[in-house]
Amino acid sequence: MKIIACYSNKGGVGKTATSVNLAYALAQGGRRVLLCDLDPQGASGFYFRVKPSKKLTDTRFFEDVERFTKAIRGSDFDNLDILPANMTFRDFDIFLARMRNSRSRLKKALKAVKGDYDVILLDCPPNISTLSENVFRASDAIVVPVIPTTLSQRTFEQLKEFFREHDLPAKKLHGFFSMAQGVKSLHGDTMDEMRREHGKRLMKATIPFASEVERMGVHRAPVLASAPSSGASASYGALHDELVARVFGK
Amino acid sequence: MIPDDTKLYFMSAAALEGLSDAPAGGLVPVITWQEGVSPFQVRDTFDRELRTTGRMLIELEGGAEVLSPGSGSAAQPDVGGTRFVADFPEGPVKAALGGLSPLRCLLPVGAGHLRRGTLSLLDDEQKTRARAVLLHLDATEGGALTIVQLQGLRGYDKALARLREMIGAAGGKAFGDDTAYTQLFPDLADYTPKPVVPLDRETKAFDAACDIIAAYLPVARANEAGVIADDDTEFLHDYRIALRKVRSVLSLFKDVYGAEQTIELKGRFSDLMAATGRLRDLDVYLLEKDAFYALVPDSLHVGLDRMFALFAEQRAAEQQALARHLRSAAYRKEIAALCKLFDKRRKLARGGKADKPAYDFACRLIWKRYRKICTIAEAIDAETPDHEVHELRIHCKKLRYLMEFFAPLFPDGPFKRLIKPLKKLQDNLGLFNDYSVQQESLQAFLGGLDGAEPGNLQAAQSVGALIVVLHGRQLAERARVVDSFAAFNSAETRQTFRDLFHGGKE
Ligand SMILES: Nc1ncnc2c1ncn2[C@@H]1O[C@H](COP(=O)(O)OP(=O)(O)O)[C@@H](O)[C@H]1O
Ligand SMILES: [Mg+2]
Repeated sequence: MKIIACYSNKGGVGKTATSVNLAYALAQGGRRVLLCDLDPQGASGFYFRVKPSKKLTDTRFFEDVERFTKAIRGSDFDNLDILPANMTFRDFDIFLARMRNSRSRLKKALKAVKGDYDVILLDCPPNISTLSENVFRASDAIVVPVIPTTLSQRTFEQLKEFFREHDLPAKKLHGFFSMAQGVKSLHGDTMDEMRREHGKRLMKATIPFASEVERMGVHRAPVLASAPSSGASASYGALHDELVARVFGK
Repeated sequence: MIPDDTKLYFMSAAALEGLSDAPAGGLVPVITWQEGVSPFQVRDTFDRELRTTGRMLIELEGGAEVLSPGSGSAAQPDVGGTRFVADFPEGPVKAALGGLSPLRCLLPVGAGHLRRGTLSLLDDEQKTRARAVLLHLDATEGGALTIVQLQGLRGYDKALARLREMIGAAGGKAFGDDTAYTQLFPDLADYTPKPVVPLDRETKAFDAACDIIAAYLPVARANEAGVIADDDTEFLHDYRIALRKVRSVLSLFKDVYGAEQTIELKGRFSDLMAATGRLRDLDVYLLEKDAFYALVPDSLHVGLDRMFALFAEQRAAEQQALARHLRSAAYRKEIAALCKLFDKRRKLARGGKADKPAYDFACRLIWKRYRKICTIAEAIDAETPDHEVHELRIHCKKLRYLMEFFAPLFPDGPFKRLIKPLKKLQDNLGLFNDYSVQQESLQAFLGGLDGAEPGNLQAAQSVGALIVVLHGRQLAERARVVDSFAAFNSAETRQTFRDLFHGGKE
């Protein structure tokens, strides 16, 4: 099982759009996926029409495996389940630890119903500073959407610094350009510069700014499901393939 | 993700449509059908192993899907047209076909067109809460069937329970019994290799005999086509068993038919059997091929190759000859005449015991046969010549036939308690006999080998070694006979025989 976090300490960069489409693409590829909506706003749950579970605010909740597994909701798509929002950071910390420990009661409970996952995908909210180090440690890969602007450039560098300072392997970082407007020379220049500077830490696949992605809120479904032949879908597909090669090998 | 309690239902298309109007507790049932249809074929073994175990094998577009009541549906691509279960590549379909006889070929039961769809329960945000995969089968022969496979979504147990309720209320039935087949293929003929012939204690012996024969003749006839087409070796096997049952009624039900009539009928049925013997022997050899190879060292396998190549050649010729025979006008006339004779019965000469009540008749025959077996068996020791052991085997076989014919007249429990140890004894005697028959026919094969022909010397060597091994096995079985009989004829068995067939007396 791999844990993949979609992270940036900035909002509105495309974390949720990426999580939703990656989760869908991974599930289509035959992997069993649990998408964890960690944003109290519940944005990725919204795209899958899953209502947030009220029970999740119960503090006793994560001591109780039975009730935890019950909080998971099947999406409309094969192999793809959602853990809806409303988790406290403390609960989430415990959850990650349990998912990592193959002998935890939670893991056993999931295995018992043949409901264990190949990938756990975390849609992180911005500003989780208190939690971020734990997320970075628990995750096998951190996918970072970067809008090709000078400001984002700074943010990505800070993230790398954070990894260095905390002795975290920088190899876990997989940045990519999000909402890129290739024709805009400003974007193009920043992208060239960043690729030179960050090399392999940036993936080749780029998600362009596309109206289909904006319209996800109307369809309430991944672009890959609602507009499979669009250019945006092709980009998410390429992102999926590249990430799978990096995380699962081959 | 699908929870484990996946359930299969089936219903009529109309009932499914009615489901749209059923109360769904605030959810909305939506049925969507995929565009287009694809051809399908349902297959089963001739003796309906899948049907009688509640399963259905559906072949479509090169792949296959097995529906089983417990585990739902298992699909596998690129397995279409596989004839024997052993030939399927490992995978979900082969696993779902577990328990099928390796000897039986999967034959078409019926065909038609298939459409796939989904039945979903949606909430107020159009989120699917529960779902069922739909398979609508439209048979060319006229029947139709919608199969509904429930698929729960994690975290929505209530909606799944609701959907299950709705399907039940709309007339959906759990998949897993015969009705799905009869609904899809209404004209499917019935077949069972072991017909149950109802008898009661007052049934006259003549009627009982005729009923049994009249039940087995159609079994033989039903297997003719499979023998002619050479679908699998079980057709001939079952054909022969059916005729053997007929013949054993003729010889075991003494004086039920007139003496001359009995002789005449026995002759006619023996003639029918005679045409099949050689092919069955060759089938058995070829089926046992691997076992034979395992009996002799690798160095002698080349010789066996030669022998089995010759057997295979002979078998092909025998099969063609038998197929010709079964298609011949003479055979068809004869078997039809026999069927008619036992259906109408007016032309059958009755014997002195024709009017005896079946129960008295059965008790007397079974008791006499049992006593005879005891007399022979009690005299058997290490010195007893083989032919007496063979005789014991034949009597046991006859006892078994008698008990099976008359089973409906006796209480189930005690009867089964007798049959079980009898079967064990028969297995022992059967092996003893098989090994001896095999030796004899291998000897005959050796005798017929032309020593001058290249390769035959090697074959002779291998066959010689084989005979030695078989002889050893025969001796081992022979040594077990005394113990087997003792195990069969326990104090309890003796008492049960007395109670059931001799009024409790010695
Ligand atoms: N590639 C894209 N092209 C166009 N709009 C996008 C793209 N990615 C995201 N958006 C839109 O931008 C907004 C913020 O994206 P979102 O994925 O929610 O960001 P985050 O999760 O990082 O806050 C949303 O309205 C979303 O539809
Ligand atoms: Mg977000």
